[in-house]
Order: sequence, then C-alpha cells, then structure tokens
Amino acid sequence: MENLGALSLILAFCFSIYAIFGSVVGKWKQRPFLVKSAERAVLAQWALQTFASGLLVYALMTCDFRLSYVASHVNTAMPTLYKFTAWWGGQEGSLLLWSWILACYSALVVWQNRKKFRDMMPWVTATLMLTQAFFLLLITYPLSPFEVLAVGKEIRAVPDGNGLNPLLQYWSMAIHPPTLYLGYVGFIVPFAFAMGSLITKQPGDAWIHTTRRWTLVTWLFQSMGILLGAGWAYAVLGWGGYWGWDPVENASLLPWITATAFLHSVMMQEKKGMMKVWNMVLVSATFFLCIFGTFLTRSGVVSSVHAFAQSPIGPYFATFLSIHIAATTWLILDRLGYLKSEAHLESVLSRESSFLFNNLILLASCFSILWGTMFPVISEAVTGEKISVDAPFFNRVNIPIGLFLLLLTGVGPLIAWRRSSFESLKKAFLWPTVGGIVLTGVLFGLGIRHLYALMSFALCAFVLITVAMEFVKGARAIATKTGQHLLRAMVELTHRNTRRYGGYIVHVAIVMMFIGFTGAAFNKERTIEVGMGDKFSIGRYELKVASIEQGENSNYSWGHAVVEVYQGGKRIDTLTPEQRLYSAGQGQQSSVVDIRRRLHEDLYLNFAGMQDGKAIIQAYVFPLVGWIWLGFAALIFGTLVCLVPSKVRYEFAKTKVMGVASGVATPKAVTGD
Amino acid sequence: MTKRPCRLLLLLITSYLCVAQVASDMIPADVKRVGSRLACLCGACKNSVGDCPMIGCHYSAPARERIGQMLKEGTSDDAIVNIFVKEQGLKALVVPPAEGFNLLAWWMPVATVLLGLMAIYMWISRMRKPVADAPAIDPAVLEKYRDSIDQDLAKLE
Repeated sequence: MENLGALSLILAFCFSIYAIFGSVVGKWKQRPFLVKSAERAVLAQWALQTFASGLLVYALMTCDFRLSYVASHVNTAMPTLYKFTAWWGGQEGSLLLWSWILACYSALVVWQNRKKFRDMMPWVTATLMLTQAFFLLLITYPLSPFEVLAVGKEIRAVPDGNGLNPLLQYWSMAIHPPTLYLGYVGFIVPFAFAMGSLITKQPGDAWIHTTRRWTLVTWLFQSMGILLGAGWAYAVLGWGGYWGWDPVENASLLPWITATAFLHSVMMQEKKGMMKVWNMVLVSATFFLCIFGTFLTRSGVVSSVHAFAQSPIGPYFATFLSIHIAATTWLILDRLGYLKSEAHLESVLSRESSFLFNNLILLASCFSILWGTMFPVISEAVTGEKISVDAPFFNRVNIPIGLFLLLLTGVGPLIAWRRSSFESLKKAFLWPTVGGIVLTGVLFGLGIRHLYALMSFALCAFVLITVAMEFVKGARAIATKTGQHLLRAMVELTHRNTRRYGGYIVHVAIVMMFIGFTGAAFNKERTIEVGMGDKFSIGRYELKVASIEQGENSNYSWGHAVVEVYQGGKRIDTLTPEQRLYSAGQGQQSSVVDIRRRLHEDLYLNFAGMQDGKAIIQAYVFPLVGWIWLGFAALIFGTLVCLVPSKVRYEFAKTKVMGVASGVATPKAVTGD
Repeated sequence: MTKRPCRLLLLLITSYLCVAQVASDMIPADVKRVGSRLACLCGACKNSVGDCPMIGCHYSAPARERIGQMLKEGTSDDAIVNIFVKEQGLKALVVPPAEGFNLLAWWMPVATVLLGLMAIYMWISRMRKPVADAPAIDPAVLEKYRDSIDQDLAKLE
C-alpha cells in the first residue's frame, strides 16, 4: 500500500511537470494538442493525488502502524473522527492535503475553462502546475507521508501509535485546517489568471471578472479558517485568548488583509479602469504571503506553539518564493504599458480616494504585523541578539490602525463615486456622527473611561448608522414605488445589487467583531484555590465548587469540577470544567473549559487541578466576546449574499481619459450574473 | 479497569505538579505591574509574565514568585526589570526597547503609513492633471442630459 501511495505521488509530480511544459511549449509552438494533453495531465495528477490521499486516510483509519506518519499521529483509542483529521495533524499529511486541495482547484479551473480563455489558459495551467510541482516535490522527497518504520531490511509495525495532540482533538480543530487551506490555496487561482493575463498582454479585465468569485469564495474560506482557529483557541487553550499574535496566527492574517485590500481596489478597476498595476501587485502579494505563511508554519524560522516540527524544507520555500517574486516583479514592470489607467481621478473627495486610504491602512496593518513577526529574526541577524515582540507591541501598533480602518468602513459608503461636495458629505455624515457622539457621552456617563474602548464603540455606532441609512434610503424608494413593506423592500434592494448590499452586511459583521474585541478592555479574571462547598465571586457572579467527579474512557481519564453559579443569591447555572489526561503518548494533559455564553458576557471556567484537597479554578468574565462569533455568522451570510447573482446588473461606462463623464448607470434586467 | 486508579493518581499528581509552582492563587497587583513589562519566555504563548494565564507555566510562575520576593525586599520596578534583562538579554522585555536598532521596530510601521500617504498624494496629483484640459460643454446640451438622467433615475426608483 505504501508503495502504491508513494508511486502515485511520484507520477502526479511527473504529470504536473509535463503539464507545465505541455502548456508552455503547446502555446509557444501553436500545438493545440499539446495544450489539451497538458490539461488532461492536470486531471490525471488530481486523480493520482486523490488516490494517494485515500490510501493515507485508509491507513489512518485502520491504524496501519507500519507507516511512520500513522504511528506518530494516531492511536487505537482515538475516536474515528480524529483518526480522519490526523490526515492534517502532522507536517507530511497536511502538506498532502495542501497539495490535494490545489489539485482539486486546478482540475476545476481546467474543466470550467475548457472552452474559454484559450489564449490565456495555457499560462494559467502552467502557473498552477508550477506551484503544484513544488508541493509534490516536498511530499515525494523530503517529507513523504508514506515513509515506513523500518528496522534493518524489515518493515515493522509498533503496537500502538502516539495519538493526536489532545489539543487538536476538538471539533473546530477538525475543520479549521482544511478551511484555512481552502483559503490559502485558493488565492493561487486569481494569481494564475493575473499571470496569464500579463503574459498574454490581455487588453481588458477578463482575469478580474473570471476570478472575482474565486477570490470571494477563497476569502470566505480564509476568514472562516481564521475565525474557527480563534474559536478553538478560546474554547480549548484554557485562558479565553482568541488571538495571541502568534507568528502562525499572523501568517494566516497577512494574506487575508491583502486579499481584503484587493477585493476593495478591484472595484476601481472594474468601474473606472484604474489601479491596474496595484491590483496585480495585491493579487501577487496575497499569493506570496500564502506561500510565506506556509513556510513560516513549517520551517521553524520563528518559534510558535502552533508550528509543525522543525523540518528541512525552509530552503525549498525560500528558493521557490525568491524565484516567483523575481519573475512576477519583472513581468509586472515589463507590462506596465498594458496596465495604464483608463480614467483619471476627478476629485479627492470621492469613493476612489476612500479606497486608496482603505488600501493604505490595510497594507500598513499588514506590514506592521509582518514586521513584528519577523523582527526577532531580523534583530538577531543584525545585532546578534533576539528581541521579543509580543502581544503588547502588536496591540499598540494595530489598535489605532484598526480603529482608523473602522472609520473608513463607515466613511466609504457615504462618499459618491467620481466626486462629492462638502455639502452632501455634511448631510450624509450628520446622523452617523451624532450617533457616535451620543453613544460616547452615554458610555462616559456610565463610567467608562477607557479611551480606545470609547473610540471603538463610537465608531461602531457611526458605521452601523451609515449602513442602516444606506439600506433604509434604498428600501424606502422601492417601498414607495411598489407598496412593499420596508423589510421586504430591503430584501428586494439587496437582491437588486447583491454585491453592494452583501458588502454592507460584511461591514456590519466587522463592526460586530469590533464590539467583541472592545469588550476585552473590561475582562475580569480570578485564579483561586477553593474548598468543596466554598464560594467565591467574580463580576456579578458567585461561584460554589459543589463536588469533583472523576472517570475514564479508553482515550483519557478525566476529572471535572461541578461549579454552581449564583447571581443575586439565586442559582442560575451549573458549569463543569474538566481536566483530561490522555492515555497515549506521554500522558498529555488537556483542559476542557466550560463557558456560560451570553451576548453581553461569557462566564468562563477552567479547572486547573487540585491542591491540598482544594480545587484550583481559573474564572474569567469576558464581556461582549459573543459578538465576535455572531459577527462570524454575519460575515458568512454577507459574503454568501455577495455571491448570489444580482437581479439587476448595472453597467457603468468608464470615465474617459479627458475626465469628462460619458455615461450614467444603465440598468439592464438580466437573469444571471 | 486495573489501569484506572493509576491514571487517576497520575492525573492528580500532574495537576499537583502544575499548581505546585504557583506561589499564590491570585497575582498581586504590583507583581502584575512589573510582570507586564517582561515577556513570558515559555515558548507556548506571546503573553507577558504579568498576564500569562497558564497555571503551571514553567517560566512565568517562578518569575512572578521572584518579582514578588524582590518587591518585598524593596527593589524598584526598573531594577527588577534590569535584573531580568541582565540574565536573559533583551528578549526578556515584552516590547523592544526604543533605542538603537530596535527603534526600527517602532518606526517602520509609522514610516510605512507616511510613505503610503506620500505615494497617494503623488498618485492623486498625477491622476488629476488632465482635468484642466477638459473641453467646455454647451449648457444646453448638458441640460438635455440632465433631464435624461433625471428620467432614468425616476424609472429606477
């Protein structure tokens, strides 16, 4: 079986190399059959990788401990779900998953465009397969998931495996890595189309129209991956931290930020034919940051609790990235003539300008995170001394940037395309500003003195009012004309322009998350040693440890504290935080916290152990944290709305070079997008 | 089932070992104050010694104990921080010190924003130039288009 798996991966590598040369030579020498055969090679390497992945999953599920990977990440007592998720629990398996997802995406791209973009597709195929070949090289040579445990010339199986890290045996961790990979890998597709467009000197924006949905879906996966990871950290690590500015966490955020900037600035290109070079840079940067993130997680360059074990693949990634960055830079510089703007900026007070500032702030945030993440390495290289750059640094730098970004989220929708007058802006900003100021006053009156918290809440109110005004204004017009109820009119309005109003829903989701982040300014914590039947208080709660219960199953033994929760003398809940000791490996310990989730605050308990017959309880009150997860749901909903085809498609004629408006919005009823 | 008592015993021992390093159940405010200037170097988190929440953290727990002891002996906050820096190097600090090469850590993000603003200013200046050359439009023609726009917008609503 291991031979079949390894052979499949070697063949898949050969097919991907063939696909690169077949595409390039076929296009260069004008041999369509070569191009076609290269596309079939893409499908063949997908089939081979699917087969290899199936074999590895089968080995994991059947506990085939002859394989080194299986013995390291599975044991017989593990639940079936986690045996399956062990596929991405280790370095080799997760690289195979990465590669398989890319194979799926590549096959889908080739199949979807089998009759479209015939000029550009060979280059798209070659770009995709170049990355594919790189990852296949890693899993066929230095990090094969099919390596066997050998003693001399004999293949030996161990009686039982080490099992999966207990921290990873949690439902959201079962889906967090694949979701994140769907995001990471997906950004390669827009990059490949951008490269295809540059190489073939495409005159229009075909690559943008083609990849808009790809980018959006990929962005959604990346967002989901990041937030599932945050949810896992909150519920599993035992101290309620959903974001710790760890290098691996930062690595997932960097491409998300540049992709967010791209999703905004691409509208400038679609509507006005502007910022073509910038969009090329952003889509390329997103791809490079995805590869860089993968490199950071797996090379051991920076220390992180989330990183895979140190491996020899760092130089491979460095070489791959250097060649790609150099080639892309050269290509963009060489094609500058084809990327000229088709329009000019008519006014500084315009939506175009707000997009520029949005991009600047997003990129500044991206750079500051990258800089902070890499600074320990840079400082060690320059001064010989390693410097710690921890959460306080990132918070100090990124909180002001984040607040400014929040402001722009509200300001952007209020400014018209092309130009806005001061008068119209004054009118548009009046109520959102009043709302923000009133809320600040109320919160100040209630005793809140935390400056950033006050600013954040005020800006949240500002953005919510601007979005609400946009919805109400548009819905009222429809309701007046059709006699529909205002809520029905809002649905109709959203359906007419899903991209715009779906985008506003995503903005609301971001506001919800900011409300949750701001709540952290008011966290309460208490670590206490408490006897059976004794009470202690935190915030408005009184807690009593009623008893300690113990038990075991085949996977772990457990002990949990039964904690009764009182409020105003009345018992309102019972929480049972648990501590586990896993039988596999070296008896690893893990906490399973219990959380009383409410929208205004979470009561979060961790049972840290026993001392002298007393329970050690870590109790936390996290105000507003639930809004982050609510925002997560709203973000998914908003992005899905953006993906629904609009009922009415507006076509905007682009502004002519001379700066004279030549067209207005001309609605066209269409059945699809 | 024979393994059960062993495992439970192991669980309790491990729990005890974890908490045995903790000096007290609450971190005193002054220890937290000094600890918030020092990085937790356990390798598993990016917190400060003052707010590292891991009960059995092999770095923060003894560090807090030491800080508490030194505070009792009357050592000043700065002196305590300096002792840690002397022992561990600059990595003992939670943020890079604002001196020498490390100033770059703080100034680079600011420099990026300033450079970006400069780039936007230059881009806007370049992109706005041709507007001055726009040909004059006959008001009558413009009025005709305005009517047309109004009619189209009315249809839209």
